[in-house]
Parts: sequence; structure tokens; C-alpha cells
Amino acid sequence: MNAQAGTVPRRGTSLDSRLRATARSEWIKFRSVRSSPLALVAAALIVVVGAWLLGVGNRDSAAASPDSGAAFDPVFTVFQAIELAQLFIAALGVTTVTGEYASGLIRGTFLATPQRAQVLAIKALVFTVAVWACCTAMSYQAFFLGQAALSPAKHAGIGDPGVLTAVFGAGLYLTLIGLLGMFIGVLVRSTSAALISLFGLLVVLPIAFIEIPGKITKNLAEYLPDAGEQAFQLLHTGSYTLGPWQGLGVLAGYVAAAAVTAFALIVRRDA
Amino acid sequence: MSTVMAASGAGSAGHAPPAAHRRAWAVLAAEWIKLRSLRSMLVTPLLGAIACVGLADLAVRHHATGWPHLDAVQRAQFDPLAINFNFVTLGILLFGVLGALVVTNEYGSGVIRTTLAATPQRGLVLAAKAVLVGPGSFALAMVIIFGAFFTGQGILSGAHAPHLSLSDHHVLVHLLGMAGYMAAAGLLGLFTGVLVRSAAVAVTSMFGLLLVLPLMADKITPNALTRHTVPYLPMNLGDRMLRPIQGLSPGVAVAGLAAWVLVLAAAAAFSLRGRDA
Repeated sequence: MNAQAGTVPRRGTSLDSRLRATARSEWIKFRSVRSSPLALVAAALIVVVGAWLLGVGNRDSAAASPDSGAAFDPVFTVFQAIELAQLFIAALGVTTVTGEYASGLIRGTFLATPQRAQVLAIKALVFTVAVWACCTAMSYQAFFLGQAALSPAKHAGIGDPGVLTAVFGAGLYLTLIGLLGMFIGVLVRSTSAALISLFGLLVVLPIAFIEIPGKITKNLAEYLPDAGEQAFQLLHTGSYTLGPWQGLGVLAGYVAAAAVTAFALIVRRDA
Repeated sequence: MSTVMAASGAGSAGHAPPAAHRRAWAVLAAEWIKLRSLRSMLVTPLLGAIACVGLADLAVRHHATGWPHLDAVQRAQFDPLAINFNFVTLGILLFGVLGALVVTNEYGSGVIRTTLAATPQRGLVLAAKAVLVGPGSFALAMVIIFGAFFTGQGILSGAHAPHLSLSDHHVLVHLLGMAGYMAAAGLLGLFTGVLVRSAAVAVTSMFGLLLVLPLMADKITPNALTRHTVPYLPMNLGDRMLRPIQGLSPGVAVAGLAAWVLVLAAAAAFSLRGRDA
């Protein structure tokens, strides 16, 4: 029996069933790494509890004079914790890829599915669906909790103009940040190098651009990846001219550039 | 040789346990080899120097050319030291990351198991790492800080803007304080790395603790809770080394930073002794 099984030529798997099998294995890898649920839980705690803390902490400034009331953005105020939570989502995206390189599992993955571009596409798809669902859920919770904490003072309802976009945009923003981390992880293949370059891009560069005054830096600063943060702001203050969707578009552009490079390199390099 | 064998006595084929000071030297030497062969050891201080000296000089140059056009109020607020060290935050962050990578790289590659098998005295291993990372980052930080100071103040003096020299009031203390703060950040990173054992978590915690958390805390309207916690975040304690902050004396700032380092050191030592590698 065994000998016969060995000689029978295997039929090539159909594209459809291969993609389904790849998706299943990528999902197993994603959920069984201990750090991925932990990173999502940490991000959710920061966003939701942070929204409540920021709401309570800013109740006074929300209730202050009508002048500052006009410049007060009840949505961004409670969503600021996203700037901290994004580090965890970014790290989740990075380790989804670099963890496999570190443990050597990536060789097994590519041996099982030599169509590397398909592996990466499915990996990105699984990641997007899981992270987007979690992040959108946490951004809705954060919104309602934060507004309840603000509530005696000026606060926003979900039906107010621009609010639904902002709440939806916050989830999209975090998902895009995670994807950026994932593709940078493919590019550098090392956890620490990927994290340092990603955090540099997200957190350090905007600060550096503020500290170096000048016309060029001012104009360029608007087109750094953190332009995506415009997505969850109602008031677009300062020198920023981008709206929520344009801001997300800039971030999506970075993700797309990283993705193109990642797809080009992953089929070429060793694992 | 034979006497040593005889002394180790009834034991099967064991060596005599080495004298404590020889073991300590051997551990220190081993840790030094691991430290200097780490690639991040080269890259991270280089990035720190680029941020603290290169970027800072760009900013200083801008301020220096703007000096003749400032009015009296702006001239009174012109602080040559603060302008010079706007980017020191990034250097501190990088030292924290470097400290974290020193130990998490070992966990990542599995070398930590060899290390602990060779030296089962885990407290000694941690102490050796701290002895190298602390003074090592202090020395690197001194090079970066003094490089930034001399180039930055040189640019200011070239533009006939107010500038400082080392002999000016308290300047040397400020510079030493900042270098000490960088070393403290390196140790914070090291101990955090021992606690979490994963490069991803450690690097993320460093960015969160040292950069994002204080930035976010600034955005909350001061209230009873934040007034008594926010000044004690490591970044804000360290800021005290650069400029005076209301209600925080230099002594308290140094003690606070030392407390952060010591508490994390104790937690790291406790966790390293008890857990698997």
C-alpha cells in the first residue's frame, strides 16, 4: 500500500483549496502565538480605559469658557490613548512575521506553500480581518465610555457630523499601522530592527520634524505616516490641511509602498 | 594539579569551585564579549549620536540664524542649553532600547541557556550585565553629550547668539546629569528586558514608558491624580537634568530615577532567579 502511494503522482492542489489551507494555517499561527492575543488585549485596555481616564481628566477643560469650548475636540480628546496603543498593534504586526523568522518556522511555512506571495497575501488578509474587527470594536467602546465620562460637559453623540467617520477611522488607522509593521517585518526580518525603524517612523520622526523649524519640514510633516491620526479628529488644527480620509490615504500609501517592496523581496530572498 | 584534585576529594571528577573573585572576573569577561559583539551596540549609539548631535545642530543652526530677528521677550526666553538638547530625548530612548536588546537578544538566540549553565549564580550574571551596561552607557553618553554641547554652542557663538561654556554656572552639572540619565535609561531597559524576556515587548515598553506616556500625560488637564504621578515618570524626572521644573528639586529627581532603577533591578533579579530560561 505504502509503496503504491509513493508512486502515485500527486495531483496539484487547486488554487482555491490551497488558499483555504493557507488561510487556516496562518490563522492557527496568528492565534496560537501567546503574544498576539496579549498585544490585542493590551491595546484594547489602553484605548478603552485610556478613553475613560482622558474623559474624566478633561471634563474641566471641556466645561471651561466658551472660547476654549469651541477649540475642544471631544472625539480626539478621548482617542488620544491610541497613540500609545498603536505601539502594541505595530509590534503585533511586526512579530507576526519576524517571530516566524526567529523561530525558523518560516522555512516550514515556505516548504509547505512554495507560493510565497500567496502566503504573504493570506497572512496580511488574516491579520487585517482579525485586527480590524478587534480595533473597531475597541474604538466604539472607547467612544461611548469616553463620552460618558465627559458627559456633563461638552461631548459628542455618535450621530454628530464626522463622528461616525472618526470612530470607524480609528479602527482603520490601527489596522493600517499593524499592516505597516507586518510589511516592514518582512523587509528587515529581525524583530528589534523592525520595531526600531517602525517606531522611529511613527513616533520619533514627527517629533524631530516639529523640533527642526522651517518651511520644508513643516510641509513634509503633514505627509508622515502619522497623518493617519487625522482620521479620528474632528478639528483639524494647526497647519494641517488634510481631512480624515486624506490622512488615512497618506498612511495607506506608506503601507502600499512597504507591501510592494515586501512582495518583491519575499519571493527572492532566503528564509 | 594533583593536590587540587585531591582537595576536591571524594567528588567524582569535579573541579574545585573557583574563588569568588575569579568567577566574577570570568563572568564579567564573558558578558563583555557578548556585549561588544552585539550589532545593536554599534548601531544604537550611532543613531543616538545622529539624533543628539546631528539633528540638534540643525535645530541650533536655525535658532542661531533667527537670533538677530527676535524681540526682547523672545530674547529673554532664549535658553542656549535647552535649544542645544531638544533631541536628547531620542538619545535616551535609544539607550533604553539598547539596554533591553542586550538581554532579550540572548533570550531570542538561546545563548541565555548557555550563560546560565556556565554560571548558575544568576544574580552574579545580572550584576555583571548591569556593571557593563551602566558605566558603559554612561561613557558613550558622555561622548554624545559633550559632542552635542561643543558643536551646538560653537554654532551659537559663531552667530553671536548667547552661548555657554563649560565653566558657566551649573553647566557641567547639567551635562553630567543628562549622561547619568542616559545610563539610567540603559539600566531600565536592561532590567525590563530581563523581566519580559522578549525583544518585542521590551522595545515596545521602552517607547511607551520613555516617550509616549509622558507625551500623553501632558495632554490631560492637571488634576489631583496627575499632579502627583506624572512628574515621577522617568522622562519627566530626567527632564529635570536639563531645565528647572516647578516643584521638583534636583535631589528628588535623582532619587526618583535611582528608585526606578533599583525597583526594576530587584524585580529583575527576583524573576531571573525563579524562572526558566
